[in-house]
Amino acid sequence: MAEIDMAVIKPEMMKPYIWLETSDGSIQQVEQEIAMYCPLICQEIIQKGMGSSKNCAICLPQRVSPSTLSLILDYCRFHQVPGRSNKERKSYDERFIRMDTKRLCELTSAADSLQLKPLVDLTSRALARIIEGKSPEEIREIFHLPDDLTEEEKLEPLKNTTDDPRIRLLNRLYAKKRKELKERERLKNVEVEEEHVDKRSVDDLLSFINGNDEDPKGIKTSKNKKKNRRKKEQQQKNSSLKETSEVNKEVNGQNIRHPNSEADRIAETSISNTEDVFAHKEFDDGDIDDGIDPALKEKIDREVEDFARRLNSDWPERMQELLSTGQERKTMLFTPNGNSFIRFDLKAPLPDNGLERRQRIVSLDYEADPDTYITFPFPVIPLA
Amino acid sequence: MQKMSYTFSFPEEVLEHVFSFIEGERDRNAISLVCKSWYEIERWCRRKVFVGNCYAVSPVMVIKRFPEVRSIALKGKPHFADFNLVPEGWGGYVCPWIAAMACAFPWLEEIRLKRMVITDDSLELIAKSFKNFKVLVLTSCEGFTTDGLAAIAANCRNLKELDLQESEVDDLSSGHWLSHFPDSYTSLVSLNISCLGNEVSLSALERLLGRCPNLQTLRLNRAVPLDRLPNLLSRCPQLVELGTGVYSTEMRPEVFSNLEAAFSGCKQLKSLSGFWDVLPSYLPAVYPICSRLTSLNLSYAIIQSSDLIKLISQCPNLLRLWVLDYIEDAGLYTLAASCKDLRELRVFPSDPFGLEPNVALTEKGLVSVSEGCPKLQSVLYFCRQMSNAALHTIARNRPNLTRFRLCIIEPRTPDYLTLDPLDSGFGAIVEHCKDLQRLSLSGLLTDRVFEYIGTYGKKLEMLSVAFAGDSDLGLHHVLSGCDNLRKLEIRDCPFGDKPLLANAAKLETMRSLWMSTCSVSYGACKRLGQKMPRLNVEVIDERGPPDSRPDNCPVEKLYIYRTIAGPRLDMPGFVWTMEDDSSLRIE
Repeated sequence: MAEIDMAVIKPEMMKPYIWLETSDGSIQQVEQEIAMYCPLICQEIIQKGMGSSKNCAICLPQRVSPSTLSLILDYCRFHQVPGRSNKERKSYDERFIRMDTKRLCELTSAADSLQLKPLVDLTSRALARIIEGKSPEEIREIFHLPDDLTEEEKLEPLKNTTDDPRIRLLNRLYAKKRKELKERERLKNVEVEEEHVDKRSVDDLLSFINGNDEDPKGIKTSKNKKKNRRKKEQQQKNSSLKETSEVNKEVNGQNIRHPNSEADRIAETSISNTEDVFAHKEFDDGDIDDGIDPALKEKIDREVEDFARRLNSDWPERMQELLSTGQERKTMLFTPNGNSFIRFDLKAPLPDNGLERRQRIVSLDYEADPDTYITFPFPVIPLA
Repeated sequence: MQKMSYTFSFPEEVLEHVFSFIEGERDRNAISLVCKSWYEIERWCRRKVFVGNCYAVSPVMVIKRFPEVRSIALKGKPHFADFNLVPEGWGGYVCPWIAAMACAFPWLEEIRLKRMVITDDSLELIAKSFKNFKVLVLTSCEGFTTDGLAAIAANCRNLKELDLQESEVDDLSSGHWLSHFPDSYTSLVSLNISCLGNEVSLSALERLLGRCPNLQTLRLNRAVPLDRLPNLLSRCPQLVELGTGVYSTEMRPEVFSNLEAAFSGCKQLKSLSGFWDVLPSYLPAVYPICSRLTSLNLSYAIIQSSDLIKLISQCPNLLRLWVLDYIEDAGLYTLAASCKDLRELRVFPSDPFGLEPNVALTEKGLVSVSEGCPKLQSVLYFCRQMSNAALHTIARNRPNLTRFRLCIIEPRTPDYLTLDPLDSGFGAIVEHCKDLQRLSLSGLLTDRVFEYIGTYGKKLEMLSVAFAGDSDLGLHHVLSGCDNLRKLEIRDCPFGDKPLLANAAKLETMRSLWMSTCSVSYGACKRLGQKMPRLNVEVIDERGPPDSRPDNCPVEKLYIYRTIAGPRLDMPGFVWTMEDDSSLRIE
C-alpha cells in the first residue's frame, strides 16, 4: 500500500492545494504553501503524506473550528509572504488581533493545537493585556469562569504546619472565636426563625457561652435540636446564596475595589453545621485540628473571619446588650469603665423582616494585597 | 447553568504562557483569585514575590505556595527606623528566609531586601546555594561586613547586580573584597558601593570595570579620589548611571580637562550622584553632558545657589532632582523655568537642627516649581515656613501629584502669614490631588486636617503624621475614611485607645500601623491583641515590662501589623506581642 501511495503522492505534491478537515467534519481545499505555515499541517503533509486528496484530508485538531481556521489561514496567508518588513507585519498583527474575547480564546487554543507559535504569542499577549488591570470578578465575567474558590482557599491556608506552636496558638484562638460566634448566631436565629425556638433560659445560654462544665445535659439537648435544624438551614442558605449573588453583582458593578459603605451591610450569615463539631470539642482546648472535618473547618474559618471583621466592641458588653435589648440593632461602643463615648453606627438598622435579612448576606469581596499576596476580605468600615 | 468558560479548552501551558506576559504584583494576585484552576496554574508559574513585611508570612508559607520563585523582595523594619525611632535589635532578620530558600529555591536569582539585618553567614549561604544568582540589592540593611561581600564576589559567577544603597557595612578588608571577583567574571551590570566607609582597591576596581562590558551603573564611595575618576570612566564609557566619589582635589588644569573628557566620553550617561565635598570649580566638567541628564542626586553636595543655577539651567531633560536646600528659592525658580519635564523633586535640609534658617529657602520655591513643572508627581520638601495659601496654590497647580511629603522643620509651626493651623492647606492637597498615594504632614494641625484626609484621601496608601491633631477623632477620621490606607505611621500625637479599638477591623486591611509617644494604653493593646488573631500587636517599651505598670499607662511605642504567621519568635527583650495565651511565648 505504501509504495503505490508514494507513487501517487509524489506528483500530487506538486499540486498547490491540500485538503483539510475541521472539527465539524467539513472538508476544504487550501493553498498548500499557506497551510504549510502551520507546523502541524506541515508535519502531516511531509511525514505522513496526508492531505493530497479529499479522501486523505488532514484531520485538524478538535480545537480548530471552520471560522477559526479561516482566521488562521488569513494570518498565514499574510505572513508566509517573505518580502514583508517587520513594521508591516507588526501593523498587520495589531489589526488582526482586534476581535472579541471569545474568538480570541478560540484562536489561541487553535493556534496552540496547530503549533503555530508566533500566533500563539500574539494571541497570548493580547489576552494578557485584557487581563491586566482587572479585578478577579471582572476577569471571571469576561472569560465566563466559575467562582469556585472557597472562602477558605481565597485566604491563605493556615493548616499544614500544625506542629508549629504559633499555628496551634492561632487554632486555639480560632476555637474560642468559633464558640463565641456560633453562640451569637444561634441567639440571632432564635429571634429570626420563629419555627426554631430555643427553649433554654438566658442563664443557660450564658453558662453555655462561658463554657460551663457543669451543664453537659443542657448542651446535649441543644445538640439534638440543632441536628434537626441543620437541613433546613442548609436549604435556606442555598437559596439565600443565590439571592446574594444578584445583590453582589450590583455591589460589585458599582465599585469593586473599594468597599462601598452603603452597599456593604453586615447581615447574618446563616451558619449551620458547626454545632455538632463543638459538642465534642467544647472543653478540650488541646490540639483542635484532630478530627474536624475539613469542609466544616472552612465554614468555621469563615465565621471567624466574619467575627474578626465585624469586631468593633468588647464581647461581654455586646453580649449583654444583645440579650437585654433583643430588637436593638445599633450597637454602641463602650469603654472599659462602661461609659459610652462615641456612637458609631456599625450597621444600618435592619428591618425586622426575616426575608430581607436572609438576602443581605455578607458579600465578601477578596483582594490579594500587592504588599504580600495575602488575601483578606474587605473590611466593613463603620459608617463615619 | 453556567456557561462554558472561554478558556475551557486551553491546556495549562497555554494559560501559563498568557500569564508569563503578566508581571505586576496586583495583576498576579488578581489572577490567583479568579478560580481554582487559575489559582493553581498561577502559583506554579509565579516567579517574583514581594513581601512588604517579612513578619506577615513565614518563609515556609511562601515556599509552599510558590514553588518556582526566582526573585524575592522583603522588607523588614518599619519606615520610622530611618529616624532612629526603632531601637537597635528590634528584628528584621533575614536569616530564616535565606536558610529556607537555600533548600527550596535552588534556582533563585534575585534577592532584594530593605531595612533588614543580614549576616555574613547568610551572604555566604547565598553565595554557595544559588547557582544562578544574579541580583543582590540591600537597601538600608545592616549586620554584615565586607567578608560577606567577598563571598558573594568569589562565588556568584552570574552576578549582575550588587547594590548596597545606604546600608551599614563593617568595612574589614580595606577594599580587598573586590579582588575576590575572579578574572573570569565579566557579567557585572550594576555596582553600588556608595555606603562603604573605606577605600576600595582601585586597581582591582579598574580591572573589574575593564572586563565587564555590560556595566551600566556604577556608584562609587566617597573614598574614591577625583583624580582617579577619569581612569575608571575610561574603562566603562558605556555607563548610564554614575556616582562619583569625593568631588574635590587640588585644583590642577590637567585634572579638570581629563575629567571633562572622561565625562564627555560617556555618551550614554544619564544619571549622576555622589559629589561629596564639591569644589565648585570642578563642576563645569559635567557641563558637556548636562543636556542628556535625566537624574541628578546632589543630596550630599554642598553647592551654593549660584553654582546650582548654572548647572541646572543646562539640564532641560531633568526628570528627577535631589538637592540640599542650598538651592534656595532662586535656584528653584530656575528649575521651574528650565526643567519642564521634572517628575520628582526632593529638597533636603542642610542644617536641620539649627534654630535659625541658614538659607533663603521658603515656600515660594516649591510654589514656583509646582507652577513651572507640569509633570511634577513626587515632592519631598524640607523648609521652615509654609502658608495655607501656598498649599492651596500648589494643590491647584498640580492635581497630578502622587507623593507629597512636606517637612516643616520645627514641629507645630503655624501658617506664617495668618498664624492659623495648616489644616486647610493640606486639605486642599488631598482634595485636588485625587491620585495622591503618599502624604507626610507637618506644621500646626488640628483634627480638621484628618477630617479632610478621611474625606478626600481615598487613594492614599501611606500617611506619616507627627505632632498633629487634638483628639481621638483625628485618628478615627483616617482609619475610617481612607479606603486604601496600607501604612500609617504616627509619632507624638494625642491619639488613644478608642479609635484603634473602634477600627480594629480596618487594621487587618493595612500592612502596618506605627504609633510612638501617643496615648495608647497597655490595656487597649492587650485587648486588641486578644481579639484579633491575625494582627500582631507589638509593644515596644524600653522602660521595662508593661505588666509592671498599670493597664491604663500608655505604651512607648506600638507596632501593629497583619500577619498569617502568628506572633514572631525573635523579639528582643523590649518588645512584647499581645496575645491570648502568653504562656506560649518562647523566650
